Amino acid sequence: MAESVNSAENFFQNKQLKHQSERRNLEQILARTDIWQAANEQRRPLSGIPTGFRSLDAVLRGHGWPRNATTELLLNQTGIGEMTLLLPTLAQLTQAGQMVILVSPPFIPYAPALVQSGIQLENLLLIHPRGHKDTLWAVEQSLQSGSCSALLSWQGNHTLEDKELRRLQLAARNGECLHFHFRPISESQNPSPASLRLQLGSDGEQLAVNLLKQRGGTGGQSLHLARGANLIRRDRPIH
Amino acid sequence: MLWLCIQFPKLPLEALIRAQGRDTQPGILAVVEKQLVVQCSKTATDLGIEPGLSIATACALSADLQLLERDIQREQLQLERLAQWGYSFTPVVSPKAANTVENGSSDPACLNLELSGCLKANGGLRAFLDQLQNELGQMGISSVMGLGHSPSAARMLSQLSEHRQWLAETRVAPSPQQWKQWISFSPSKLLDCDNKTITKLYACGIKRVSQLLAIPLSEVGSRFGRPFVDYLARLNGSRQDPVPNFNPPARFDSELFFPDPLDNSEQLLFPAGRLIRELCQQLQRRQLYTQQLHWQLDYGQGKNKELIVEVSHPLLDPQRLIALTKLQFERVSLECPVQTLRLSSKQLQPLVEEEFGEDLFDTGNQGERSSQLLDKLKARLGHQAISGIALKESYLPEQAWQSADSLLIKTSSKKKTHQLTPIKAPRPSWLLPRPTKLLSRNQKLFHHSELQLLQGPERIDGYWWQHGRHGRDYYIAKDQDGSLCWIFQDLTTEEWFLHGIFS
Repeated sequence: MAESVNSAENFFQNKQLKHQSERRNLEQILARTDIWQAANEQRRPLSGIPTGFRSLDAVLRGHGWPRNATTELLLNQTGIGEMTLLLPTLAQLTQAGQMVILVSPPFIPYAPALVQSGIQLENLLLIHPRGHKDTLWAVEQSLQSGSCSALLSWQGNHTLEDKELRRLQLAARNGECLHFHFRPISESQNPSPASLRLQLGSDGEQLAVNLLKQRGGTGGQSLHLARGANLIRRDRPIH
Repeated sequence: MLWLCIQFPKLPLEALIRAQGRDTQPGILAVVEKQLVVQCSKTATDLGIEPGLSIATACALSADLQLLERDIQREQLQLERLAQWGYSFTPVVSPKAANTVENGSSDPACLNLELSGCLKANGGLRAFLDQLQNELGQMGISSVMGLGHSPSAARMLSQLSEHRQWLAETRVAPSPQQWKQWISFSPSKLLDCDNKTITKLYACGIKRVSQLLAIPLSEVGSRFGRPFVDYLARLNGSRQDPVPNFNPPARFDSELFFPDPLDNSEQLLFPAGRLIRELCQQLQRRQLYTQQLHWQLDYGQGKNKELIVEVSHPLLDPQRLIALTKLQFERVSLECPVQTLRLSSKQLQPLVEEEFGEDLFDTGNQGERSSQLLDKLKARLGHQAISGIALKESYLPEQAWQSADSLLIKTSSKKKTHQLTPIKAPRPSWLLPRPTKLLSRNQKLFHHSELQLLQGPERIDGYWWQHGRHGRDYYIAKDQDGSLCWIFQDLTTEEWFLHGIFS
């Protein structure tokens, strides 16, 4: 008789313990940052880094560039104002004393123009790795380091594989870094792990931004950003 | 004060044998200097060879005798290494080099350590003495020790066998009376003075120090001179006994020799780690840091390869230094098998607390992490792959910027240098490394597509006072796709060039 009472007690205890451990497991899973919960969607902080363009901020989910993630910028030609899109953010970050890294930019970043737009050159670092492997390594290390607040990288001749893009996205998250990745428009057909994908084009004298994808938000919007008036002002032709 | 004197009676021989490799059994060896045997190995002593014999006599005693020339420099290096070893226990260390044959008496090299301050940290006198003996044994150096209240006394007592016996068993430091007893009991030949004085002492019938101490000092002085009286006073502690203090040099130098040469750079990592740990241990003890690790891979036959690892931030953590070194070694292809791996660091700098920056709070951490990143990038990609940019004062657009050293990133936050302000006119964010020539046909310009001039001209006319004049009219132009370009017309040749892109 006493034995059966004991075993019943044991049974209840075990059940309780099991229940507790299950609950703990669930809590652990929920505590992970990469688990998306629909119920928590409203409560989650929606703070992006302001882009400096009000109309763009309005479209983006966090009212700014997504933090700790990759943003893809798809474009086929330079000179349409793609850097102008990033300069206010970069200026803000460098003025706060944080490091910004450019990995193999296509041309020389011209110091006078950068200073004009408010960038502190002391916090700007250029890296020119040789070869595809070194480039990936440098980008990943810089993203991971936690010491760099924004990193701009340009896809060269070598197309990045999905696996590599995912690694960079993860590195950006671990290192809490803004990662801007420039790619040709042809890549828009391929899926990408990036949190935000913008297709950039030119519409006369404006920069046309087409929002292809944004994580946790809606895509498909397009907007036009005017370029600096001092650039597109038309002088009386003298020729 | 408690002084320990460690004498190295066999140093001339041991310094030479160590260099030859530890595994080989020493044969019948004799170290010679100026045609005289200075020291010989045990096997040689068994054959009747002893210090002081001439080479001819020694060779007559054994036909297999191998003669080694005494290498004073190597002995000195070995002694310095021993002094550094001693320095890891106590800050007051004084090495004394051996006398050469010319000076008459042949005192061995010795090391004086002041122990009173470090006994507690090293677990008491007995444990400490045992540790010293053990470590010396591992290094393959034979030694003789003596304790004393002054360096002179310790040196004399180390030669007294009764004292050595006592030292082998003692647990506590002796009382002042015991010092006095030992000193007065010592035979006079142990006194640290030249042979002439000792002969004189014996001629006077003074065989023990006690007899000498019984004579009034003024009479000793008139017979043996003032220096001798001085020495006696230092010996019994009535006068200060200063010794030169050892200051370890501000550099690090160590090497590992591989009996079987290594032909794989991965195999090098393990010995490299050992050297780095040795370095870090020394840096930690002396509160120094290094900015450059200088690796030398010796292939033998005078060929070697050098690698430099730069460290911008004070680092004492061996793991991080090993990681940086690994990045460099991975890139190296070995031409031949490596025989010796050598690590040296010339400039060790004192660690200032601010520079170390390991703060409880996050402020210092950011800078440290960024310099770690820079070190890593530099180690793998090379120096030239990483740069900053800066403004420069110039009329010419292509000279209005310069590539800056990446070190600027770190220092800039502290001091503001002279600030240059850029020109107010619109400038493109991308500059072409060199202007590209534009096609011009029927008064129209082409770059991918037809260009349409929006603004201009902005005339930049530089260096007209020099031979190579640069006269240009700059325009902002738009192509059919909407890209804004910065183009110019050369005033002398009237040709058009693309120079920048408003991105």
